[in-house]
Amino acid sequence: MGILFSVSTNPNFKWHVVARYFTHETIIRGLMLTIFLTVASMVFGTLLGLVLAIMRSSSTKPIAATAGVYINLFRGTPVLVQLIFWFNVAALYPNLSIGIPFTGISTAVDVNALIAPITAALIGLTLNEAAYMAEIIRGGFAAVGKGQIEAADSLGMSGAMKMRKVIIPQAMPSIIPATGNQVIGMFKETSLVSVLGVAELLQSAQLIYARTYETIPLLIVASLWYLVMTLLLSYPQAQLEKKYSRATSLIPRKAKKVVLTAPEGIAR
Amino acid sequence: MNTDGTIHARAIRKSFGPKLVLKDVDLDIASGEVCCIIGPSGSGKSTLLRCINGLETVDSGVLKVNGENLGYYETETAYHRLNKKKIAEQRTRIGMVFQQFNLFPNMTAQENVMAGPVLVKGAEKGAAARQAHELLASVGLSGFGDYYPAQLSGGQQQRVAVARSLAMDPEIMLFDEPTSALDPEKVGEVLAVMKDLARKGMTMVVVTHEMGFAREVADSLIFMDDGCIVERGDAREILRSPKERRTQSFLEKVL
Repeated sequence: MGILFSVSTNPNFKWHVVARYFTHETIIRGLMLTIFLTVASMVFGTLLGLVLAIMRSSSTKPIAATAGVYINLFRGTPVLVQLIFWFNVAALYPNLSIGIPFTGISTAVDVNALIAPITAALIGLTLNEAAYMAEIIRGGFAAVGKGQIEAADSLGMSGAMKMRKVIIPQAMPSIIPATGNQVIGMFKETSLVSVLGVAELLQSAQLIYARTYETIPLLIVASLWYLVMTLLLSYPQAQLEKKYSRATSLIPRKAKKVVLTAPEGIAR
Repeated sequence: MNTDGTIHARAIRKSFGPKLVLKDVDLDIASGEVCCIIGPSGSGKSTLLRCINGLETVDSGVLKVNGENLGYYETETAYHRLNKKKIAEQRTRIGMVFQQFNLFPNMTAQENVMAGPVLVKGAEKGAAARQAHELLASVGLSGFGDYYPAQLSGGQQQRVAVARSLAMDPEIMLFDEPTSALDPEKVGEVLAVMKDLARKGMTMVVVTHEMGFAREVADSLIFMDDGCIVERGDAREILRSPKERRTQSFLEKVL
């Protein structure tokens, strides 16, 4: 109670400043960029994660090992370090030349110009997220019973067909809720790219308070937006979790209600 | 495509790690024969069945199913492993019914039956749907096509599984304890479907504990213990007067 009272009465919080900047143009633009980064890195990260998960479950050892090394490398180093690394990758390869092999046709690309802060942010977040998504997807694959794979094998299904028609549809119930969690995590993780000077939500707030010295109120503005967005995201997340929870996933949602007519039709 | 429906095995061996599960097993099944394999758990009967289907690869020995070497092709000097596509093709001619049904839970009964023809053989959907309809009717499940496996009883699921295998038009049907996971009162409905199939002349190899089914339907009976075939012969004769001591003591307990 004491804390609540202090928070609402201490003039240093400057709630009127918070209110003024809450829908400020710079902040909204920053919020949009944050949303874009979240969506883009989740989409690309999931796709790459799927590829990695398939590679990791491969029976060909080198392929599985490559995916394993990737996953361990990207999960084992801080994402902040990775982001700074991709931002500075031009130091390693200042000039890349893109061309068609054996033809002599090629264009030199200035890597410094190619890896703009936003690109570096996108690459860093995507590559990192892919490692986590790969593990989530692989966990989903592992949850599909061995009998299902044997049944598909005994029908003579090819590897790709098995994946598409049997494994992935059944792995979804365990993958989707976990992915929802990742989206929420990613939304907050994007604040890290502020160190690259990308004007996302946090950096936008920082840009303003660098000018006005109203540090705390602007951090509150940013925090409130993060809070609002995560709360908005957690509703569909909770719904997804409910929808795909084990107990209800036995019968797909589009299934008809069973009507007991014939004595044979007694469902368990 | 030839319609052979025979199984010939010579000295097949299979081990899981240090444990030898099949010890030089020989097997001959004629076209249209119904063969029951009985024996205590861990005797290798399921493994033998899974080898015939290619779910397990044998360590050594010759295994010919439908007149072809399973998983290998033969040249004058050596055996070479077939590519995955060829192995898959051989498998489409061998139907397998599992103890735990293993229907695809994300598909309806009808989609389960259509899965093989449409996804593997590239059959036209309308034709496959008609075929699925007929097959479901033949296992006594007309009108259940839109039900998901979770909405069906164990016996019904197993009958859908039989229909799913039959949809591939196999020459041989393998049954791995098809009634062991069922309520006692649902066993009969699955056995009835299998009897019907036997009458139509399908080659069947059935790993089972249903001695009644063996007596009534099987042509031949194999008793396995500890990775070896202990006794084989006419089903009724063995059940009536087993020759080997081991068979006698096993049958005393189960009959």
